[in-house]
Parts: sequence; C-alpha cells; structure tokens
Amino acid sequence: MKTILSASFFSLAVTLCVAHTDALAASLHLNVTDVTGTPSIDTVVYAEAANGQALPKQLHSVQIEQKSRKFLPAVTVIQTGTAVSFPNHDSVRHQVYSFSAPKTFELKLYSGAGGDPIIFDKPGTVVVGCNIHDQMAAFIQVVDTPYFGKTDATGKVTIDNMLPGKYQLKFWHPAMPATMAVQVQPVAIPNSDMTLPILLTFKTEKK
Amino acid sequence: MRLRSLESRIVVLFLLLILAVQLAGFAAIRIGINENARSSVRAELIIAERVFRRLLDQNAENLTTGARILALDYGFRQAIGTNDKETIASVLANHGARIGADLTMLVGSDRQIIAATAGNTGASLQGSIMQLVSAAERNGTGNGIRLVDKHPFQLVVVPVKAPLTIGWVAMAFPVGETLVKDMRELSSVQATIVTNTGADHWNVDASTYSAADAKKMTAQLHEIPRQEATLPTMTIAANEYSSRSIVLADDGDHIAIAVLQRSLSEAIAPYQRLQLMLLLLTAVGTVIAGLGSVITAKRITGPLRALTETAKRFGKGDYTGELEIKSNDEIGELSRAFGNMRDGISLRELEIRRLAYWDTLTDLPNRAQFVNQMTAAIQQAKRHSTPCHILMMDLDRFKTVNDVLGHNFGDSVLREVASRLKQQLAGSDNSVARLGGDEFAVLLPSSDLRTAQNVARQFLTSMERPISLEDQHIDLGAGIGIAGYPMHGSDAESLLSRAELAMYAAKKGSNGAVVYDPSIDRSSDQSLSLLSELRRAIDRKEFRLQVQPKIQLGTGRVIGLEALIRWIHPERGLIYPDEFIPFAEQTGFIRVITLWVMEESAAMCSAWMAHGVFLKMSLNLSARDLLDQELPAKAAEIMLRHRVTPASFCLEITESTIMEDPVRALHTLERLNTMGFELAIDDFGTGYSSLAYLKRLPVDELKIDKSFVMNMAFDADDAQIVRSTIDLGHNMGLRVVAEGIESEVVWNLLAAMGCDQGQGFFISRPMPAEQFSDWMNLWIAPNSRANAPASIDQHV
Repeated sequence: MKTILSASFFSLAVTLCVAHTDALAASLHLNVTDVTGTPSIDTVVYAEAANGQALPKQLHSVQIEQKSRKFLPAVTVIQTGTAVSFPNHDSVRHQVYSFSAPKTFELKLYSGAGGDPIIFDKPGTVVVGCNIHDQMAAFIQVVDTPYFGKTDATGKVTIDNMLPGKYQLKFWHPAMPATMAVQVQPVAIPNSDMTLPILLTFKTEKK
Repeated sequence: MRLRSLESRIVVLFLLLILAVQLAGFAAIRIGINENARSSVRAELIIAERVFRRLLDQNAENLTTGARILALDYGFRQAIGTNDKETIASVLANHGARIGADLTMLVGSDRQIIAATAGNTGASLQGSIMQLVSAAERNGTGNGIRLVDKHPFQLVVVPVKAPLTIGWVAMAFPVGETLVKDMRELSSVQATIVTNTGADHWNVDASTYSAADAKKMTAQLHEIPRQEATLPTMTIAANEYSSRSIVLADDGDHIAIAVLQRSLSEAIAPYQRLQLMLLLLTAVGTVIAGLGSVITAKRITGPLRALTETAKRFGKGDYTGELEIKSNDEIGELSRAFGNMRDGISLRELEIRRLAYWDTLTDLPNRAQFVNQMTAAIQQAKRHSTPCHILMMDLDRFKTVNDVLGHNFGDSVLREVASRLKQQLAGSDNSVARLGGDEFAVLLPSSDLRTAQNVARQFLTSMERPISLEDQHIDLGAGIGIAGYPMHGSDAESLLSRAELAMYAAKKGSNGAVVYDPSIDRSSDQSLSLLSELRRAIDRKEFRLQVQPKIQLGTGRVIGLEALIRWIHPERGLIYPDEFIPFAEQTGFIRVITLWVMEESAAMCSAWMAHGVFLKMSLNLSARDLLDQELPAKAAEIMLRHRVTPASFCLEITESTIMEDPVRALHTLERLNTMGFELAIDDFGTGYSSLAYLKRLPVDELKIDKSFVMNMAFDADDAQIVRSTIDLGHNMGLRVVAEGIESEVVWNLLAAMGCDQGQGFFISRPMPAEQFSDWMNLWIAPNSRANAPASIDQHV
C-alpha cells in the first residue's frame, strides 16, 4: 500500500514534466509485478497519449513462428498496420486462424513461410490458434501507439524514445479474464529516463 | 415281515440313516441355496449399481464427446467468431439431432444464451446449465443429471475454444428408455427410473417392467431414498425382488431415482431345478438303498431263518436233513458250527439214551426202558383188548455169591443169567430187562396168564442148571412174580410193584413162580404195621416164653428146654412165630427178640437152678444175630445178671443162617464158643452146607430135621438118613438130637440107633414156661409108663 501511494505521487510529478520537454526522448523502465507481487512475464505494456493525439507509426515486420507446435512468441504486441508473418518451422502442417474481431484470418494448412504476412490494421486483441493443434495459441495485442513493450522473464520492460508528456499506460496480459477492462495508469514522461514499479491488479502467473 | 425281526430292523435302520443323511444334505443345500441366492442377488445388485453408474458416466461421456465434436467444429467456431447467429442455430440443431439431444444450446463466454434449439429454456434449466458452465470452466467439461420439468435429463457442457474459450455448448438428453434398456441387456436386473412428484406419487420415466408392473413397484416405494440404499424386498407379479435405489437428481422439491431390482425367484430358479433333481436323487437313492438293504437283510436273515428251522428240528430230535448254507462268511461258519453241534448232540444223545435206557453190564434194557416198553405194551393191549403180563425174577443167594466170590464174579453171573434169559426169549416178541441188582423182568405183550406161567416155568428150569464160571459151579435158584394187565393193574408202575410183591411171596414160599394175588398185598400191608406192633409188644409184655423139653432118650430124663416164643396179641390173640419171626428177621427186630428170649431163659434157668434142677436152655439164633458183633457182649451181660453160666445155654443155628455171611457168622460163633456157650446145628439135613465147612464150626450138637424123623417109622430111607446122621454126628464127636418125635415107635427106634436126645409132640408140645413145673411133675418116661395115664394126647 505504501508502495502504491508513493508510486502515484511520483507519477504525478512525471506527467508535469512531459508537457515542457517536447524535443527530448526518454526511456521508461517498468518493473511489473502482478497482484501477488510476482514479477509478471509477457505483460504487454503500451502508452497512449493522454490527450488522445495520434502518435507516429514506427512499423516493423513481425514474425510469429510455429516451432515445436507452439507459437513463438506466444505474446506479441504490434502497432496497427503491422504485417505479421507466421512461418512454420515444424515438420507438421499448421492451419493458423483467428476469429478475433480486430482481425479475422485463416492460413490454410501450410508449412514453411505460409504465404503473405497478415496486416493487423485494427487495434485490439487477436487470439491466434491452429485448427489442427488446439493447445496452440498466440496473442497479438494490436495497439495504436509506437510506445509498447513486453515484460521479460524478470518482469522488466523498457519503452525507449518516448517523448516527454502525459501518457496513459495500459497493461494487457493473456491471463486477464476476457471481461476485464485493460488496466490503465496515467504517467508523465519526463525528459530523462524514469523507472516505475507497476503493480497489476490481476494474476498473471499460469495456473 | 414282523416289525421286531432282524430283517425289518436292518431295513428300517438303513432307510432311516439314508433318509436322515439325504434330508440333512437336502436341508443344508436348500439353506445354502437360499443364502447363496440372496447374497449373490445382493452382490449382483451392487455390481448392477456400478454398471448403472458406469452406464451413466459412459452416457455422459458419449454426450460430452458429441458436444465436444460440435464445439470443435471449425465452421461453428467461425460462426461464433463472426457472430453468425443463423448459422450457429442451424449447426446446433444439426448436431443436436445427430446425437439425439433434446436441447442444444450455445452460451457465450459472457454466460448469455446465444442460441438454443428449443424455446423452452426455463429458469431452472438455465440455472442448471450455468452451474455446469462454471464446472466446465473449472474442469474443462461439466455434466450432470438435472430435473427438468420433473424429468431427469443428462446435461453436458463443453467449452468452445478458438483457441480461447469463446462460448459453451450445452446439451440435454432425457434419461430413460435407452438407459434402462442398456441396463437390462448388460445385466439381469430390472431397472426403473422414477421421479417423485408428490408426497407418495411417483412418475415412471422409464422401466424394463411393463407399465402395470412398474406401477406395482412404485406402489411399494414408500420412503424417498435420498441416497443409495437397499430397499425392502418387493413382490411384483408373484416375483420376489431385492432392490437398490440410486439417486439420479435431487433438486430439493423433486427427486429422480433409479431402482435396480433383481428377482430372487429368478436367482433361485436354476437352483430349484437343482433341488428338484436332488429330491429326485434322494427318492431314487432311498428306493435303491431300501432295496439294497432288503436284499442284504434277506441275505443275512434268510440263512438265519433256515438255521432257526434247523434248530427247531434239532429241538424236536430230528437230526436228519442237510444244512444247505455253503457260503464262506460268518453265516456259513455258523451253519457249519450248527452241523458240528448236530453231530455232537446226536452222538451224545445216543450215548445218553444208551446210558439211560440200557444196562451197561448185561446190555439189556434197564428199568426205565422196561417201563416205557411196558407202557407201550399196555396201550397196545388196551387197544386190542388183550391182556399182557410181566414176570419179575430175583436170584436166590446172589448176595452170598457176590460176597464170597467177589463182585466181578457176581457180574459174570448176572451176564450169564441175562444171556440165558435172552436165549429163552429168542424168537419171540417178549423182552427182558435188568431192573437192578439181581432183579430181572420180562415183558410178555399180548399174552395170557397161562403163557406167562409157562414162560416162568421155563425160566426156573433154565436156572436150575448150575452156572459154571471160572471153575466154580454155582447153583442159583430164583423167585418169579407174575402180574398182568388188566387183572392186576392198568399201568406199568403198579404192575411192577405187584409183580415184585408176588416175587417176594414166591421167594418166601420157595415155590418158584407166584401169580400176584390181592392177599399178598394185604399181608404186605399188615407187615407194615407189624413192626410198630412188635416194638409195642416188648413194652406191653405181650411176648410169652414157651418151652419144649429135651429128653435124654436112654433114660427119659429131662435134660433141657428149647426156649420158644409166643405173642399174645391184644386183638388177634395167639400168634405163632412163623407169622412174625421172618418179618422180624427182615427188619432186624429179631435181635431184640433173641435178647428177650435169652433174658427170659436165663431167668428161668436161674430159678430152677435155685431149686437144684439144672436145665440146659436151647435157643435159636438167626442170621442177623450172628452179624451182630455186640451179641457176645450182650449175652455175657445177661448171664452175669442172672448168675448163670454160658455152659447152661445151647445156641441153635441153621445151616442157611450161617451161609448168609459165613465169614462173619464163623467169627461170632467162635467168640460165643470161647465164652462157653454150646452150639447146635438146627434142622440138619435140609441145607447144602458141606461137611468140610461144618467140620470147621465149633459146634457141640446136631439136631436132625424133623422131616426125616417124623416119617422114619414108615419110610426106610428116612430111617436110614437118620441112622447115618446119628453116626456121622457121633463120628464127629457131636451130640445128636432128634426133633419131631411123635410116637413111642420113633422114640424107640431112635433110642436103638443111639440118638442122644429127642424132643417132639410125643414128649411134649411147647408149653408156657410157667406150666413146665406141673408138666415136670407129671412126666414119666415111656419105658416106665406102666402106671402112667393110659395115653398122652399125642396129636394135640
């Protein structure tokens, strides 16, 4: 509780700084722990401008490969408009599909490169599965901002090159109940790097 | 077959044993079967319950699989993903119909029903489905039986994943017909699914029973089993059922249960056939065992019965016939033992019969057989109305022969007599027997008196011939008594006793054969009382001493007196010695009489001696007296008392007296002689004694028998015998006395012959002792009788 209070007070101070330092870029270091205090892995973190202004696109091609009947990586965060290819590195074929509203697609049974990459042009969560292998699932969080990242095995994530200013930090994790709203936390990025501890309100550890 | 017989007892025992064993076995099996059936029914029901539960699980699993197939359908998931409601509904209907679901429903991940195949999705159903959705969320799938509109339904819920859960497929299947049908096919239990719809009202959802039977069953469901339970035994359509209930669904208000029932009667049925079989076996076994035991018993008792018959025959004395049992078992052994016993008994019986009915010495029938023969002869005589006779014979002097020559010799004599009798009877149907001792008897069946007398005479003639044995010549006489049926008696014993009496009479009279006469019997009757009368006679002083003078023939002087006895019987008057002396001799009473005579004689002698007259007293001794060893002592005592000397006495004995027991007689005589008594041989010339023997006797006097003397006046032979005897006596240095002098002629003749003394009626009859004095005074010797009374009554 004490941690949360001090964090809130600190973030208020950061938000104030962003407004005045436009030209400078800063890195945001986050230490994410879930509700149980455990470092949260594969938590998607992205920052949207507090005032809703559009942020520049920095598109990169992204690959979600299938290896050992798993999607790698299992959790991917991309900016809208990013093309994602699904190369199959297994000896078996896969039929990759998604019935998620942001992007419905189907890659007929294939092996190898698997044809044209799929462009995800709407924000939201896209759950990717394989019709052949029920247990295979990949999550693509499509966001409308260039500032995003994914926590590593120690629950750390760094979002670089952020322009100082006020942001809404949003957190998403595949373990989140479907009905749950994305956790939002406002943050003010100063013109220098900053480190924030993030406490998620849900459990991210696998059951 | 008597009930107490060995045979029936064996049979009954066998049968009872077999029946007991069979019944015990039957009862045990019956109880076992019942127990077994019940416990196996219980076990079956438990297994059936497991099967039923397995069926339920399997059913749920099948339905789950069906639902899952739907949930996995790519098109379906695509429809859901694209929210294509129409497609969704048609897929649900299509798949639901395919697996026979009553209701197929899609629930969204937000727990909202997206689509359903039936409109009727009541709150309770929705609630149930949501519960199962929650369960599926936790466990992957959810299923359960729930009551829907008071009917049990199997509900399954599976998630629809793409690949995250995007919704739930729920399906509902009625629990009922298929399940109970499967149950019935898998096991022999009756299954009924019922729902409780009121206090005591049950709604039958499905049953393997007919509707009517199912109703009967529910009628017996009184308590609502809220959990698995064994229900009380029910009876449906005459079948007894063990029951078990399983709760399918319970929503608080209503409850659905499955009732599994196993017919006890059905379970027992196969055993009942077994029991029937067993009963049949018992019956057949009993019959066979019964027959077997009857046969066995007969094999035992048949021979036993035969043996019993044989034993009865043996009992009657019939030893003929073979023992037919030849087996080698105990019965055969018994039979052989019987045979041996029969042989032994018959041999011994022959021997016993021989001993009982035959005289071993002479090989003649004995008294017992003779009596039998007599009885038979009397009966035959009775039938033919003819007489029959018996002779009884007793040898004379046999005792003497036995005593002198020994018993062996005596036996030989008896054998010789027997052979002579047999010889006499050879060729006739008369039979001879030895009655004992020297008594023989002859049976003359169907013979008259004359024949009997002839036979008796023949016997007597045959006995006259001396018997020569071992260089000895024995003269045996015999007395024969004759008695006959029906004159003298009608039975054997009375005839025998009468023949015996006749025989004694014959011996007494020495007259050969005597036919029984009632008078003999009377005399014998009299003699019985005689003895007591004789005893009384001494006490009452009924005896009188009589004396007969003995005269010196040369001088006519009275030398002595022969003391005699008379009995003055108070009723019968005077009795002569002939009438009671032989009897007294027989009974031994003679000794008392002899001593009495001696006493009286001694007194008389003493009295006369006091008057200066010496009289020598002669008195007779009998054979019994000579056998009395105390006689000399008693005599001495009497002499002493009366102060007379033994020399005053002359003791007279007959030859036959001595011959009764020559050895002891001689001994007594010698002792008497030594004491000083004179001894005389009485009745000399009538006996058979040899002179050689006489010579050894210490005698002083010979008394010539009166039979010779009485006739000597007319019979030259007698006279010659008398003369020779006188000479003989004198030559032996003896005094010779003649008895029976009845005339003066004889007196004179005797005197001329040199006879020393005489006595007889010519001189004096025997007179009472007290009259002697008077007689003495009157006595005048013949040669000096000139002035004597003209004649003395000689013939009185």
